Amino acid sequence: MISQLIIGGLASGSLYALIGIAIVLVLQATEVPNFAQGEMAMFATFVAYTLLATYGLSWWLVFPATLAFAAVQGVIVQQVVIRPLLGAPIINAVIATLGLNLALHSIAGMIWGNQTNVLTSPVAHLPVFQLLGVNVSPDSALTIIVSVAMIILFTLILRHTRAGIALRAASQNQSVAKLMGIAVSRSFAMAWAMGAMAGAVAGMLVAPILFLDVNLMGALLIKGFAGAVLGGLSSLGAVFVGGLLLGIVENLLGAYVSGTFSEALSFTLIIVVLIVAPNGIFGRVKSQKV
Amino acid sequence: MVSPAIPAAARRDRLLVAAVAVFVGAMALFGGGYFVYLLNLIGIFSLVAIGLNILTGFSGQTSLGHAGFFAVGAYASGVLAQRFGLPFWLAIPVAGALATLIGAAIALPALRLKNLYLAIATLGFGIVTQKLIFEWRGVTGGGAGLQVPTPQLFGVPLAEGSRMTWIIWATLLAGTWAASQLASGRTGRALIMLRESEAAAGCIGIHVARYKVVAFALSAFYTAVAGGLYANLVRYINPESFSVNMSIMFLAMIVIGGLGSVRGALLGAAFYVAVPEAVRGFKEAPGLIFGISLMLVMILLPGGLISVFRRRKPARAAAAA
Repeated sequence: MISQLIIGGLASGSLYALIGIAIVLVLQATEVPNFAQGEMAMFATFVAYTLLATYGLSWWLVFPATLAFAAVQGVIVQQVVIRPLLGAPIINAVIATLGLNLALHSIAGMIWGNQTNVLTSPVAHLPVFQLLGVNVSPDSALTIIVSVAMIILFTLILRHTRAGIALRAASQNQSVAKLMGIAVSRSFAMAWAMGAMAGAVAGMLVAPILFLDVNLMGALLIKGFAGAVLGGLSSLGAVFVGGLLLGIVENLLGAYVSGTFSEALSFTLIIVVLIVAPNGIFGRVKSQKV
Repeated sequence: MVSPAIPAAARRDRLLVAAVAVFVGAMALFGGGYFVYLLNLIGIFSLVAIGLNILTGFSGQTSLGHAGFFAVGAYASGVLAQRFGLPFWLAIPVAGALATLIGAAIALPALRLKNLYLAIATLGFGIVTQKLIFEWRGVTGGGAGLQVPTPQLFGVPLAEGSRMTWIIWATLLAGTWAASQLASGRTGRALIMLRESEAAAGCIGIHVARYKVVAFALSAFYTAVAGGLYANLVRYINPESFSVNMSIMFLAMIVIGGLGSVRGALLGAAFYVAVPEAVRGFKEAPGLIFGISLMLVMILLPGGLISVFRRRKPARAAAAA
């Protein structure tokens, strides 16, 4: 029973983690908490749905095509909405992403309507299997595997590629990075592209489990933020663990304490954790020059 | 920076307040139903914007939980009026006092939190409050909502015509005046110092923790009074409406108007109510147009709508930003 719940929590937690990573990639680079992340991901998921359902393409084509769409989407958002706001107070960019969120929501409503759609999972035909005596649905397994793969991939890119190292330099100190010959704006565009891709993957993973409609990502976005903050915003690993923890805790509280209060209880828990550890569980305190 | 031009700004505030009072008075006397309703909403959200501005605009603490305070004000005044027969002019201040206590209590854990961590913690407060109202059915009516009795003043029911408008805008006038006094006084200066640098504020003898608690409590009071007025205006409240989205919209409102400016708060509230109403005719478009206008205002007017009025003195605008 309890291991079943933990597996379920891991599956929803890895979705929170993916959204959290999408947010933190952008946050670390540009210091902007992206409130449009949810609707950007929803939009990309609808693109995947159109390619699958309307054009009848296979997942092998749809997945990379959607990722490419997400990357372009991220770059466009960075260049059109965020870049003019660099240098203005952060809160301005936050409100701009909020505006983008509303705009994307209603554009998606215009294109795809407000009805619910079914996005068939690529592993829908596989049976439920047993792992160490626990029933695991193929969707949960896929969600967990893909998210772990994504975080490993992103970490490798950030640590070992020139572009990734440039991005980290740019997020640490913009002006010094510029002096060292790094195209800061291009690095930021890359962060937005990576964030948008992580979000799109989360969207494609969650849509088959729930139904696909324009409200797909609303709750997930908040949970993504919450998980990221719980873990600590300083590293992708911390964000990932935070997301997983949130998923597991929520599932366990829902089953053992109170189903109706599980969300409220998890937020209460997050507040309590933040009182003890104001920078998240694994967060490092950023030292500040006075 | 604390601008030395505050007395001049205060004089302009008085002019603005007078102009708004004349306008609203004329509208309330001659204007028709729907327009008056919008004016009422603008007045109520202006109060929220002023309150949130004290916290976010002045002291620099981001809150994504103000829908919670708004809900506390609405429900506390609604329940007091409905179950205990308190008149609205007593129920709303009591609700405000309750929210002030809650605000001060929230401030204690918030003392150590910054930026996004604080935003998420306050967001958690909003979610928990909404859930409690949903589930505490015996008192709040839960998901079925709560009917609030028609507010009366000296036996005159206020539901008709523009009578609530007078109450709401009189409250707003008082709230605006109090906030202007606060902003140009010792507390306002201390809060601005807090926003610029906590360390520096501490060094010059500002009690950081105390002022943060004050900012939270005052902000909660304004927001809850607005919530109480809202409950008495619409007379049917449902926990559904006090969602995270509402908190986010409150924040958008003050940034659009102009962060840290009392007059900007009024502009932001007017924008928030009027723009979606103005484009209501288009089917899916309100969200789209409102969203795009949020982005445009942020890109074209980084100081918010209020900076239109400050254009002529860019130096001062920079000092006040």
